[in-house]
Amino acid sequence: MLAERPFQTLLKREILRFMRVWMQTIAPTLGTALLYLTVFGIALGTRIEEINGVPYLEYILPGIALMNVVTGSYMNTSSSVFDAKRERYIDEVLISPMSDMQITLAYTLGGTLRGVIVGFGVFLVGIPFVGVSIQNPALLVLIGVLSAFIFSALGVAVGALSNRIDHISLMTNVVIQPLAFLGGVFYSVDMLPSGLRVATFFNPIFHTVDAARFAALGVSDLNPYPAVGIVFVMAGLAFSGAWLAISKGPHLRL
Amino acid sequence: MNGSSNGSNGTPALMVEDLRKTYRDGFVALDGVSLEVGAGKFFGLLGPNGAGKTTLINSIVSLARPDSGKVEVFGKDAHAEYKEARRMIGVSPQEINLDKFLTVSEALTYHAGYYGVPKKKAKARAEELLERFALADKRKSRVNTLSGGMKRRVLFARALMHDPELLFLDEPTAGVDIELRHSLWQYVRELNQGGLTILLTTHYLEEAEELCEEIALINAGSIAAQGSSRDLKEHYGVSSIEDVYLRVIHDAR
Repeated sequence: MLAERPFQTLLKREILRFMRVWMQTIAPTLGTALLYLTVFGIALGTRIEEINGVPYLEYILPGIALMNVVTGSYMNTSSSVFDAKRERYIDEVLISPMSDMQITLAYTLGGTLRGVIVGFGVFLVGIPFVGVSIQNPALLVLIGVLSAFIFSALGVAVGALSNRIDHISLMTNVVIQPLAFLGGVFYSVDMLPSGLRVATFFNPIFHTVDAARFAALGVSDLNPYPAVGIVFVMAGLAFSGAWLAISKGPHLRL
Repeated sequence: MNGSSNGSNGTPALMVEDLRKTYRDGFVALDGVSLEVGAGKFFGLLGPNGAGKTTLINSIVSLARPDSGKVEVFGKDAHAEYKEARRMIGVSPQEINLDKFLTVSEALTYHAGYYGVPKKKAKARAEELLERFALADKRKSRVNTLSGGMKRRVLFARALMHDPELLFLDEPTAGVDIELRHSLWQYVRELNQGGLTILLTTHYLEEAEELCEEIALINAGSIAAQGSSRDLKEHYGVSSIEDVYLRVIHDAR
């Protein structure tokens, strides 16, 4: 059985980890979200026209929440797995009766939960600014959870493959952050020149942001249903990558 | 507590057959190791640094992937039946590897959880081991705040949390003070008398001579000599295991 006690224990450990360091893992994200909302929404937002008929602040809120879902999940697993590997306590897990699949899934779901908590928190922070009106809550939850899962799995893979802490921060600063900022959180792709617009279609975060915006506001750049499909495919790919990294990654099982 | 030593039906606690492992950099760590450790034995594995002791242990618990060969733990194939095999093994590793996010008592109960021990049982077992290793008043301290000797004790206690049948002690007394060493050996002896099979690697040869019923010397990735301490001394015509060691390791060079 996949969800037997060893798996549950590792998942519980992952939750305990981010809750125990909530001042690093939860609180700053909410603070930053508040800053975005203030700067982009209140200070600049009044000078920005509506996008697709939606006031700017309302337009960016789902994207800001999703951006935090993505970075929160990714940072959770990449640093949890990397720390465990660097300080070798991952060995305790690797020699336990758990399968590599169970180990990968426990780490991935731990990070997913952190992302979802943070994303939910950002929405709560945003309510005083824009009020609550979510078009399709079930779809929004689905997109949020899947996006968290994708980037959590990606974090597991990066944590398992990295040999130095620089690798983790490089990935965060050079790949994840730019993808997040260029993922259509603050603008509609229709506002971009055609070259950048095409490039944006290859950004996985764009698809998750766009689908989340559709779920929350009913407006999107793309037809939302293929985007949901793409998100599912990405989840499968990311998890397979994470699984492979845990079982074949350097300095894990030699 | 380790009543089922399996000694009666003759299945060895550990059976290693022609195990080979070459690391990616070309270093041959195991060059055809074959070894049998009878159930209930206190077994010593001696050899110089880099001889393959830790690689052997790692290959048994799948932290290393051997290129070829076979490992069985109480008759369970360590690869094909890894869940059953790993569940029977406890490891106290050479390097301290405690989860820094956990407290002392969590380090024990989470470990038990990883091995599927029910919560209640794990809690009771943790209490017993905390008392036994004089860690009870540190139970709520985070492991990374402990002294080196205490971390060692948590490591031993952790290895015993799931009631293993076969315990690997990989250089457990390196850098440990005399008092802890003595109390550890006393406890380990008791466990062995209760039926637990123990495989010890150490650089303290007199320790091995005193504790182990059987000793194997490993050198350059293969077993160079094996037998009881008395047999080995007789065979090499010397009076201590240290002399046997020097003879075996030196002759091989």
